[in-house]
Order: sequence, then structure tokens, then C-alpha cells
Amino acid sequence: MRTNVKEKTMSQTYKLTLTIRRYDPDGDKSWDQTYELEAGAILRFVDLFRRINVEQDATLTWVSSCEHGQCGSCSVQVNGRPMLACELLVENAVALFGTTRFRIEPVTVAPVVRDLVVDWEQAYERVHRAKPYVIRPIEPPPGVTELQISPKEIARYEDATRCINCFCCATACISTHRNFIGPNAAMASVVRLMDSREEEKDERLALLYSEEGVYRCHTSKACTHVCPKKIDVAHFIALAKEGAF
Amino acid sequence: MGHHLTIHATRQCDVLIIGAGGAGLRCAVHLLEKRPDLKILAVTKVAHPQKSHTSTAQGGLAAVDPRDKTDKPIYHMFDTWKGGDCTSDQDVVKRIVEGGWEEIQWLERRGMHLSRNDEGNISKRQFGGHTIEFGKGDSFRAVFEADRTGKGIMDTAWGEALKRGTVFLNFSVATEILFQEGACAGAVLFNFKDGEFTKVLAKTTVLATGGSGQVYRITTNCRGNTGDGLAVILRAGLPIMDAEAVQFHPTGIVGPGILASEALRSEGGILRNKDLEPFMERYAPKMKDLAPRDIVARSIETEIREGRGIMNPDHQIEHVWIDLRHLSAYVHEVKLKEVASFFKTYTNLDSRTQLCPVRPSNHYHMGGIPTNADGAVQRSAEEIIPGLFAIGECACASFHGFNRLGTNSLLELLVMGKAAGECVLSYLKDGRIADPAGAGEQTLSRFSGYLAARGTENTGKIRLEMRDMMTKKVGVFRNERDMREAVAALEEYRRRSAGAAIATQGLRTNQELLERWELDNLLDVAMVIAQGAIMRQESRGAHFREDFPERSDAFQFHNIESMTEFGKVLFARRPVDMSLQTAGDAHSDHFKVIPRKY
Ligand SMILES: Cc1cc2nc3c(=O)[nH]c(=O)nc-3n(C[C@H](O)[C@H](O)[C@H](O)COP(=O)(O)OP(=O)(O)OC[C@H]3O[C@@H](n4cnc5c(N)ncnc54)[C@H](O)[C@@H]3O)c2cc1C
Ligand code: SF4
Ligand code: SF4
Ligand code: FES
Repeated sequence: MRTNVKEKTMSQTYKLTLTIRRYDPDGDKSWDQTYELEAGAILRFVDLFRRINVEQDATLTWVSSCEHGQCGSCSVQVNGRPMLACELLVENAVALFGTTRFRIEPVTVAPVVRDLVVDWEQAYERVHRAKPYVIRPIEPPPGVTELQISPKEIARYEDATRCINCFCCATACISTHRNFIGPNAAMASVVRLMDSREEEKDERLALLYSEEGVYRCHTSKACTHVCPKKIDVAHFIALAKEGAF
Repeated sequence: MGHHLTIHATRQCDVLIIGAGGAGLRCAVHLLEKRPDLKILAVTKVAHPQKSHTSTAQGGLAAVDPRDKTDKPIYHMFDTWKGGDCTSDQDVVKRIVEGGWEEIQWLERRGMHLSRNDEGNISKRQFGGHTIEFGKGDSFRAVFEADRTGKGIMDTAWGEALKRGTVFLNFSVATEILFQEGACAGAVLFNFKDGEFTKVLAKTTVLATGGSGQVYRITTNCRGNTGDGLAVILRAGLPIMDAEAVQFHPTGIVGPGILASEALRSEGGILRNKDLEPFMERYAPKMKDLAPRDIVARSIETEIREGRGIMNPDHQIEHVWIDLRHLSAYVHEVKLKEVASFFKTYTNLDSRTQLCPVRPSNHYHMGGIPTNADGAVQRSAEEIIPGLFAIGECACASFHGFNRLGTNSLLELLVMGKAAGECVLSYLKDGRIADPAGAGEQTLSRFSGYLAARGTENTGKIRLEMRDMMTKKVGVFRNERDMREAVAALEEYRRRSAGAAIATQGLRTNQELLERWELDNLLDVAMVIAQGAIMRQESRGAHFREDFPERSDAFQFHNIESMTEFGKVLFARRPVDMSLQTAGDAHSDHFKVIPRKY
């Protein structure tokens, strides 16, 4: 019962090599820069970036906000895999990639503005196009102030509502780089197709079955595989393809 | 390299909303629902409004359901008054509590995915400090969306704001408030993505910049919560109120301080010390683990001080355990899915079978920019500033007094966002937009000073040292000697910060420059917190003085604090509104200055 009391009194540190893709907009210059540092097992990658800023290089630029996996600001590619830097612990990264050497690059869904920072507004533009709100809410019957929605009904799409728009899925999705509106943007519309409070289904279907719609998806499931919120994104895209809302 | 900075552009709008978290967005949407023609500009420091900190709120949103036969608004008002240690303004308490359920309906109709019971009605859960019949029993008045209530509110609110045509300016900060003849005329913004300074002239300005948790090392707050709104107000020569009222959440996950929600305890989690004793029974025999936050936080710190804590080797931080092992698989996997997974993610522990380490973590700033019950910013207890509003965590109306009850902040954001919006409408009638002389000079000279600085100091290092110092000296337990040392240390950090050179000289996405400005904000806010806490020689709510452990009637007022020169804090007073007590009805006696015992 008390095993973790003992287990967690030993601390281990790792010698890490981080190679970070840099970009300086002032000189329009890109390069790789390598930093060596020693860090404890449960430090996060955002803690490593902060330490680099304090101990080695104040100019390294990166983004975070909540720093606990809730806002989707800190997405980067680590050894080619899109991930949240605030959720990645040193010991987990070492176990996952089987190495202490990491290559860190920005996500690919929008142009880079400096180092690991991309122009998020451009990325979000796709989500905005998918209308992430109730376009036309249903009128409840007279006298009814709150609608009843069964937990069973919500359970069908609840997972999709957990999306934080970190764009990890869109970074991993090859189709997104070829005209597809992208898994998270498509999913934002799918949620409202499944939500009984939305009356405007036609406009949503028109987008999902358009040129940039779900038929661009090749069901590779890379999105599901990388989603830090463990949302089965491909499942929702598949529902859209089948029209099974 | 010399820098000549200039104002890049001037923009005009009807309403400038500085900060698009829950409060700012609710205000924007209310305005646009009433007046779809309005031009609203909403500014955020983050990449997109969805990234604002409200999205991280987990536990719930308090509101009394009018159809609930056991609960009544007057009970909620009492809990808020008692929880705030009799320092909430009663007119504000009444307004916010009575506006609660309407906000739930507002959210529900606009698509928030509230959790439901088997009949399909909105579910409610219990939360610390919320009772029925003036403390007789537990109330169930927190509605929620699983353990991501804040995200549910945000996704609804930013979606509606987008749908109704709010213009967003992200990766931007307001650095200076503009005035013309005593009225607010807008603000100067620094868009740090593009590296441009903009002057925004607005008929009305609403500050909604959120919390200031980065003042402390162990905090649940996001990286951008550096008290910007408060610092900008202080630099305009305006006061802040009750800055010393800082709440520490009892259960931050060791080490960064990530919030392990109250829901863990309301679902049955038990705090244990190193001997595995369920120690809350000793400190709050009736409410035990569900006692209000400040009491639980001090109980944990006392356990640790008296040698019953456990040391975490990686972070070198002492802590106690939260025991969730006895909870059902259903609770772990459904009700607490997200929060329980934090332990796995950030400590590699499995809460179903292992004890999890927690320590009090800075969580909420009750103090802030003083406003009246409409959210209008006050220059003094008697005078408001036309055209300037403050809402949400950066404001102090005061709803929470000296200690906020869980779930009451989200409620406040919504009701005050709407209330301020309603009042803003009355300022929009006259179409004149002022263009004050000298606008932006303060900002430009400050930022050129940062870029011109020479020396070997590092902004990030000073920031870390300062936060650690504040956690140790102006934290859960406070005393005069430590806090005098804190004031001296802050002076020293400020002196050192002048020698922090900035290597990146281009203005585009210059993180060093932004963080240098944030450091000044942190230092200003920390200074007022420390001096306010020294001045208040008593214990009240979350403000706990070891050298003055009792509440004192001599301090039964709000502290109005201004600082135009660093370190020189001036104090004035604002009386606590007692309108529920003076109403003289059947419940008035509950709203006297009463002891806060649970
Ligand atoms: C982890 C956590 C969990 C919580 N859980 C609950 C809960 O369950 N129930 C509850 O009632 N309360 C909870 N709270 C408290 C509550 O979430 C916050 O008090 C509330 O969300 C603050 O909302 P806001 O709109 O005032 O600010 P925020 O949501 O923080 O928004 C502030 C906005 O201002 C912007 N901004 C900041 N500075 C500037 C600047 N200089 N210029 C321009 N823009 C700026 C930011 O980018 C952001 O858009 C929780 C808090 C935390 C930290
Ligand atoms: S399943 Fe479809 S949406 Fe997901 S990554 Fe593959 S192509 Fe993209
Ligand atoms: S679906 Fe998952 S990976 Fe994609 S944006 Fe949402 S949270 Fe991120
Ligand atoms: S910083 Fe919010 S998800 Fe990483």
C-alpha cells in the first residue's frame, strides 16, 4: 500500500541533448542549436526551456500558458512527433524515444514567427471557418427554460468536446497539408451536428462534404495516435464520412 | 543599438476589452446581443482567446436553481459572506448570487455541454463552504461540465463572441490606460507578435486581465498571470484594493503547483500526513476535508512545519498525501478522469493504487482593482472613473471578501461581465472619442529603457528568485519580520532588474522584452501585496498573520492601496457594504460580523 513512499525517495537525473530548430525573423535566418543539460526525472519540457532561458540562452523563444495540458499553447514536435511540451516529462520522453537526444521543432500548421512560436491565428482560421458554436439554436417549447439532454446522448460526442485546439493532430495529418480543413476543425463541426440543440445542420454538412471536407481524409488515424487528450479524432471524422451523426 | 520606438497605428472602437477570459468574453457577448452594431476589440496576451486561463477551471460554477426545494439564494449569500470572513460587500454579494441561475440558462442555451443526471437535467455537486440553512447541511449548487467547467464556459463564450463579430487582437498586452479630462479614453497596446505599439481610442474600456499568481513560485496560475492589469492601474496613479488577500489552494500537485481540484475532496479524497493520519479531523471536526480552502491550506502547512510532511526528492518540496485509493473505479475513470490523470502525467503516480503528493499552491487573488457593483472602476471610495470598468479576477467589487469559496469565481465572471456590459451601454450614447495628448509616451520610454539596458543580470533568474521569496515570506503564514525582509528583497530585485540586458533587439515576438515588462509588473504587485499584508495587523480569511492570529474589528474595512513610486504604498479605506444586514429583515442577523468557524 505504501510502496510509492519508498519508490519516490530516490531521485534520478538525466544528461540530455536538445537540438532546437531556431528562426530569427529579423535576419530571416534559420539554424539548429544544441543545448546540453542535466535534469530530474519529472521535469517537463517547458521546465527545460525555462532553464535554458535562465542558464544558457535568454533568446530561445517558445510559448506556453496553462502549463498543464489544458490550453494547447505549447505544441512542438519532439523527434518528429507533435506533443505538448508542458506534458512531456523527462523520464517519459526518454522511455518513449529510447534516447536522451531530442530534436525539437515548431508545429507545421502555420508559419513560424520566431523559434518555436508559430502564427496561431492562421492555424485557428480553419477552426473559425468550421463555426465552433451553435449557429441556430432550437427554440425550447413554451415554459421550458432548460432543455433535457440524456447523458447517453452526450456520451456519443462528449469526447470531441474535450479538444483544446493544440493542432497536434493537424500537424500529424498529411491531408491537412493538402487542402483538408483539418481533423480538429472538422471535429468542431461534427460536435454541433451531433448536438440536438443545433438546428443548422445543412450548412455544416455542406462544409464537411465540400472540397476541403472529410473525403480528403485517408483514415490513417495519425490524428488519433498523437492527440494528447486521447480523443479518437479519426472516429469522429469517420462518423462524418458515414453521415452517422 | 539605439531604439527609437513609435506608435505604429491608431485604432478606434466602441468598447475595448482588455483580456478575453470568461469575464471579458461574457461582457463582449452581452454587448453584442444588445447592440449587434457595436465595434468591439478584445485583446489577449495568449495565442487565441481559447487559451485564456478560465479554460483551466475544473470544479464547477455555483448557482442556486430556483426549482431546488432545499436551496435558496439567501443561503448562498450567507456562505459567501461567512467564507469571505465578513469582508465581502453585501450589495455585490446579493447581485451576483441572484444573477446566478440566469447565467446557467444563458450558457445552456448557447451550447455549453453541462453534465446531466439520468433524467437529462443539469447535475449539481457539493463544494467546500457551500451549505443550506445557514450552515446546517451541505448544499448541492455547483453545476459543472465533467472536470472542465471553465473550458465549457470558455468554448461557449468565445464561440458566441466570434459568431457576433468581436475583433480579437491576440499576443498583445495593454501597457497604458489613456485618460482625457478624468475619463478613460482607451489604452496603448503592444502587439508582441508583430512588435507594434498601437493606440486604441475607445468610448469605454473594460479591464479583464485575470489573476496575478506568478507572484508566487508554487501556483496554479498560468505563465501569463503576471498582474499586468493591476500594475497598469497603479502606474496610472489609481489604487488597487485588498492586495494582501491572496488565496492558496490546499492541493497543488508537487512540484509546479498544478491544481488538484476540490472535487477530489468532495468526491471523498482524504488528506493524510506521513503517518497516514487523516489529519483534517483534528482541524475541522465537522467539515473535515471539505472545510474552506484557507483552513485546509494552513492545516497542511502546519503538518509540514511540525515534521509530519514528506520530502519529494525531485523538486525538493515537502508535501502531504491525498488518498484516493478507496474511491470507486467509476469516480476515478469518469468523475475525476482529467484531474486524476494529472497525477499520472506530472508525477508518474497512479491515484487508484498510490498516494499522491500535494502542497498548498497560490491560487486566486481576491484583491484587485476596486469597482462598484456595476464594475465601474473607483478612484476612491466615493469617486468612479467614467468609461473605465474592471471585471473578473483582476477586479475587486468585492464579492469574495478575504477568502473565495470554490465555484464562486466563475459565477462572478459571468454575472459581473453581463452587469458591466449593461452599464457600458449607457456610456456609448455620446459618440465622441477623445485623443489625449502624450498618449503612449510612458510606454515607449519604458520599453526603450528595457532595450537599452546593459548588464549581466537575467530577467528569468530574478523572476524565479522573487517568486520563491514571496512563497516563503508572504505566503500561507505571514509575520512582520519576514515581510519586512520581503520588502527589502523586492527593492533589491528591482535594483538588479535595471541591469538585465536584452539580447534580442528586434521587436517581433521578443520574449525577453515581454518578460522584462512582466517582471516590473510582478515586482509592483508583490510590493503592494507585501506592504498591505504588513499594514493589516490581524488575520482575516486567507490573510493569516502568525503575530496577529485573530481577526480584529479595527481592520473591518477594505484597504485602498496606491503606489506611484516603487516601495511607497499609500493607504486609504473603503467601508464594507452591509446592506443585507441593515435591511432589517428576517435574515439580517446572519449578515452581521460573525465568527468564521466550521
Ligand atoms: C487551475 C484553476 C482552476 C480553477 N477552478 C475554478 C472553479 O472550478 N470554479 C471557479 O469558480 N473558479 C475556478 N478558478 C478561478 C477562475 O478560473 C479564475 O478566477 C477565472 O477564470 C479568471 O477569469 P478572468 O476572465 O478574470 O481571467 P482569465 O481567464 O485569466 O483571462 C484573462 C485574459 O486577459 C488577458 N490578459 C492578461 N494580461 C493582459 C494584458 N496586459 N493585456 C491584454 N490582455 C491581457 C489574458 O490573455 C486572458 O485573455 C480556477 C483557477 C485556476 C487557476
Ligand atoms: S485519419 Fe484522416 S484526419 Fe486523421 S490524420 Fe489520417 S487523414 Fe488526417
Ligand atoms: S483533437 Fe486532440 S490533437 Fe487535435 S487539436 Fe484537439 S486536442 Fe489537439
Ligand atoms: S501550456 Fe497549456 S497545454 Fe501546454
